[in-house]
Amino acid sequence: MARIFGIDLGTTNSLIAVIENGAPRVIADPETGRTLLPSVVAITPGGGVAVGDAAIALEANPKRASVVIRSVKRYMGLGGGELGPEERRRYEFADLSGPVVRFKVGARTYAPPQISAEILRELKRRAEAALGGELVERVVVTVPAYFNDAQRQATKDAGRLAGLEVVRLVNEPTAASLAYGLEQLNDGYVAVYDFGGGTFDISILNIKGGVFEVIATNGDTHLGGDDLDQAIVAELLAGLPEAARADRELWNRARAAAEAAKHRLSTAESAQIRLETGAGALERTLRRADFERLAEPIVERSIECCRRALADAKLAPAAIDAVVLVGGSTRSPIVRRRVAEVFGRDPFCTIDPDQVVALGAAVQAGVLMGARNDLLLLDVAPLSLGIETMGGLMERLIHRNSTIPTSVTENFTTAVDNQTHVDVHVLQGERELARDCRSLARFKLGPIEPAPAGLPRIEVTFLIDANGILNVTARDQRTGREHSVDVKPSYGLTDEEIERMLEESIDLGDQDLEERLLIAARNDADQILAALAKQLGEYGNLAGAEERRRMAEAAKRLAAARSGTDRELISRLVEELNEASTPFAHRIMDEAIGAALKRKSVDEIS
Amino acid sequence: MITCPSCTRAQAPALACAGCGAPLGANLDLFAALNLPRRLAIDAAAMERAYHDLSRRIHPDRFAAAPAAARDASMRATALLTRAYRTLRDPISRGRYWLELHGRKLGENNQRVPAELAAMVFETQEQLEELRESRTPENLAAARARRGEVAGALEAAAVALARNFAAWDADGEEADERRREALFTELKATLSKIAYLTTLARDIGRELETARAA
Repeated sequence: MARIFGIDLGTTNSLIAVIENGAPRVIADPETGRTLLPSVVAITPGGGVAVGDAAIALEANPKRASVVIRSVKRYMGLGGGELGPEERRRYEFADLSGPVVRFKVGARTYAPPQISAEILRELKRRAEAALGGELVERVVVTVPAYFNDAQRQATKDAGRLAGLEVVRLVNEPTAASLAYGLEQLNDGYVAVYDFGGGTFDISILNIKGGVFEVIATNGDTHLGGDDLDQAIVAELLAGLPEAARADRELWNRARAAAEAAKHRLSTAESAQIRLETGAGALERTLRRADFERLAEPIVERSIECCRRALADAKLAPAAIDAVVLVGGSTRSPIVRRRVAEVFGRDPFCTIDPDQVVALGAAVQAGVLMGARNDLLLLDVAPLSLGIETMGGLMERLIHRNSTIPTSVTENFTTAVDNQTHVDVHVLQGERELARDCRSLARFKLGPIEPAPAGLPRIEVTFLIDANGILNVTARDQRTGREHSVDVKPSYGLTDEEIERMLEESIDLGDQDLEERLLIAARNDADQILAALAKQLGEYGNLAGAEERRRMAEAAKRLAAARSGTDRELISRLVEELNEASTPFAHRIMDEAIGAALKRKSVDEIS
Repeated sequence: MITCPSCTRAQAPALACAGCGAPLGANLDLFAALNLPRRLAIDAAAMERAYHDLSRRIHPDRFAAAPAAARDASMRATALLTRAYRTLRDPISRGRYWLELHGRKLGENNQRVPAELAAMVFETQEQLEELRESRTPENLAAARARRGEVAGALEAAAVALARNFAAWDADGEEADERRREALFTELKATLSKIAYLTTLARDIGRELETARAA
């Protein structure tokens, strides 16, 4: 199996990392040596795409015809009607009534996952170039812990559109705790304060014997460094007439100037801002005290989230053994000061806050590859999940901060005789009324065989998987028959839309694609053959004679197919060998667990 | 007995196969899921160890490269394990689950305020109403005293719950019908009392918090 990579798909910057010899490292762009890819995408009127610095270069041209999109993460999983005035002002949108916002670029429109996919594609390209042609196909992508179902699904969709298999979504603060090697704490409570470009998360974990158990999480998916910039912009443009303030071009330049000033104020006591307007230059000196006055209410919102998370965890601030800072915004002295005050201890910030999430994603990728069996993440669902009941109430089925994967089974029946369908409306949120919660999806149970009201019994299982995404299955209790459940997400792209986008993006690349798939299949074959040879060498005594013969048979067939060009045959034989060796692999794992528990692998990553 | 689909070993129902460690889709009660005897007194540390140990073996992270059927079994087994741990860790939800396991429900004949709590519930509501109207030091002090009283009653109820659990563990499961019914009735009454007291404590806490903020 090919390696799994870790990706931090951030609001402001994105990174890709991988684990090597047990230690994670960020992969730099081989051309520029830079590790951060600015999450900026430019689209030309002809549909051409530029990402990162190339997109920023286009943005600098005031006469440009391209649309330059920043902070696309803020738009992931949102319906048209959910845009705030600030978000609406920044770009042109098509069709704000639909279940997905769409950026308008000339005659074309782009859903947020398509834009994010361009960032992912660029990370993939860079990493493949840096690693001399090794394919990047399977990834762990991080998301804010407080992302809802639609936002998570949109992130997975972006991966699919970029031709990547998203093996797992991991919450950013949880990933950060992995990067810090906090398993050495052994039995302690950790708070991870993650103040990024566009989102804020706080997670409280209990770490014991390599198990990272999240006990509470809270946050705000629309609170971040962007808000600090906007507060400065609002102050800066306050004296200008309304028409000037509504000018998108001027606003963008003001934002860039504000961001630069904010960065300087992390170390300097004051910063100069100079902004060209239609009516001459605007000059201003921003002192740190001015900035902190603007920042205070924003930082306070994050502190409020921390208090709620502590209350959910039933812990006093003094019970926290370590505080970890994540995200570029934690460079601001006011943020560090307030966090230290609330938790009564100085936070950890030895790993670059811009890299820590990607490094943690790579560690989790290592766990998924079986390279770090000493670690295990037990994450939680950030929001309660429920259904709408009679009278428009929200009935909670899965409570927030439930460890995932988690499931609950609910029985449904009919209200009138011979009813053929039951409608179910799934909600996410903490409010009592259905209309105050976020609609997640709707589905119809049925067709139900005609019967008196109340007689049919349909058992519906709501399962939140390890990615925090909902799966629904239904079974008729009388007939024992599985019902197919056609869940219609309230927000986001449909499968058909994603298929169509994929077809459009592949267009001429068919030949190329075939070739890539063949390389991938061969890589898989090499990997499993090598792994098996190694395992048989070290743990041969754990396999029976008959079992060894079967595995050798399958390995021989695979080795023969591998030198041919039939990739489907190769894939099938990989699967066969995988099946034949799974019980053996499990036995090795059991054997290794005891040893792995004792192994000190902390030093490798800290 | 069930048979492991991966290694065909026959065994008693469990979350993970005793032979090859593969997750099994067995339909288990929550005690069995955690490999615990069906007893209400639980050693929290031992239960946590069992939970972590089983999680390490059957969690989906361990099956990222496995065939779809194994991935699915892992996800379902882990969901059950998680539910077992969450439910049994807390004595109140453990007690509720005990009722459920024996085909009983707390809600059935328990809609009314428990008689011995009625006076306290109404007095508290009145007190909080007065506090909302005027935040005098006297009203605040009364609410605080009430909070202490409710906390004390909750502690007493927790002791009663532990006593009921001990009675079940001693002989409850084998006892005659009358004794069992008495234990069920006592368990329901105690759980219902705890539910009311918890709501009261929350309401008083909220009101005092609002008063403090104002």
